[in-house]
Amino acid sequence: MDEDSPVQILKNNIWYSNPIFIQILGICSTLAVTNNLTNTVIMTLGLLFVAAFTNLTVSLLKNLIPRKVRMILQTLIIAFYVIIVDILLRAYLPEISKALGPYVGLIITNCIIMGRAEAFAQSHGPLISAWDGITSGLGYMWVLMLIAFVRELMGFGTVFGITVLPAGFTPWTIMVMAPSAFFLLGTFIWVAKTIILRQEGGK
Amino acid sequence: MKKDGLIYTVIVSVISAFLFVFLLSLAYGATKGKVEENQRLTEARAYLVAAGIEVSENMDIEVSFNTNFPNFDTDSAYQTTNVNGKSVIVSPFQGNGLWGTITGVIGMTFDLQRIVGFEIVSHVETPGLGGRIDEAWFKTQFKGEYAANGIVVKHGGSGGDTDPDNGQVDGITGASRTSDSVQVIINQQIEKIKSELGGTN
Repeated sequence: MDEDSPVQILKNNIWYSNPIFIQILGICSTLAVTNNLTNTVIMTLGLLFVAAFTNLTVSLLKNLIPRKVRMILQTLIIAFYVIIVDILLRAYLPEISKALGPYVGLIITNCIIMGRAEAFAQSHGPLISAWDGITSGLGYMWVLMLIAFVRELMGFGTVFGITVLPAGFTPWTIMVMAPSAFFLLGTFIWVAKTIILRQEGGK
Repeated sequence: MKKDGLIYTVIVSVISAFLFVFLLSLAYGATKGKVEENQRLTEARAYLVAAGIEVSENMDIEVSFNTNFPNFDTDSAYQTTNVNGKSVIVSPFQGNGLWGTITGVIGMTFDLQRIVGFEIVSHVETPGLGGRIDEAWFKTQFKGEYAANGIVVKHGGSGGDTDPDNGQVDGITGASRTSDSVQVIINQQIEKIKSELGGTN
């Protein structure tokens, strides 16, 4: 199958070369925001938006940009969209902006965006690059949501802030803290790799 | 022109930097009013909450603010108002959190025996950990708490603290440093109000 077909890109970014558990990119934020589903959703949506538009812009400008300053211009473009997200949140979703605080700015340093801009958008057309950005964002989102679901459920007994576990439940303090994201991510990579290896073995 | 030449590189860099920053300043300019409006409402709301007034989703915060603080004096360290016939002292505070400045508003009964309300205006604590100082459960703990001798933000233990007479509130799991900061900030603020009141009476 064609490596660059939209369907194949979707499959790759969601599963076969998922940014989190295969490329292991941008996992810094898995540690930070995933003890709360609401924050995770907003953060990953922000990342999806930035990744899509950065890829689109980098792809549009790729023939104009001299190789020497390629990276720094990519960073400029990423920073531009991240600040746009920050401004929009401040103006229209002040509550969320308050809750996420410095983490919106940290999307700039998320390796997925730079990685996709450099690895994909530099050598592909604008629309397919934007699609690659969107699907990378989705691949990032579902893994983080899964981790956040477990952490919020075990750490607070809630899902999206709504209490679901009975009152007698003792919250697992470790799930609220950053190390639990490592444990969960490690477990997750183990499971995902096992499934992928089994699929390959079965071919 | 040579694409890898120095002149081309400089020109493209300058033009792109200018263009993106220009667009950003446009976006900033377009939302500036809205952001300031949000900030003003957040502060007005914080004053109301600190004064112990119930703030509901659809009430007009500005109207309520103007009724409750008709003589708002921006130069004073505290405001006084009457809520349900009781005098309340409301005072904005700021202090150091773990990562940056925490600002907010605290309301005390006129005799400084109890806290009436507590609201955070801004902070840059870790989302999901220290950032939880801005969650309702944390802030409402202070309401009605006995604070004549300051308050203690407790660590450890289980079951939580529900006694409003012991001057203790629950800290945040995984955010001991932020909890400590809040304790220091509130106690300093209570001392500050005490000395201000002592100075004018």
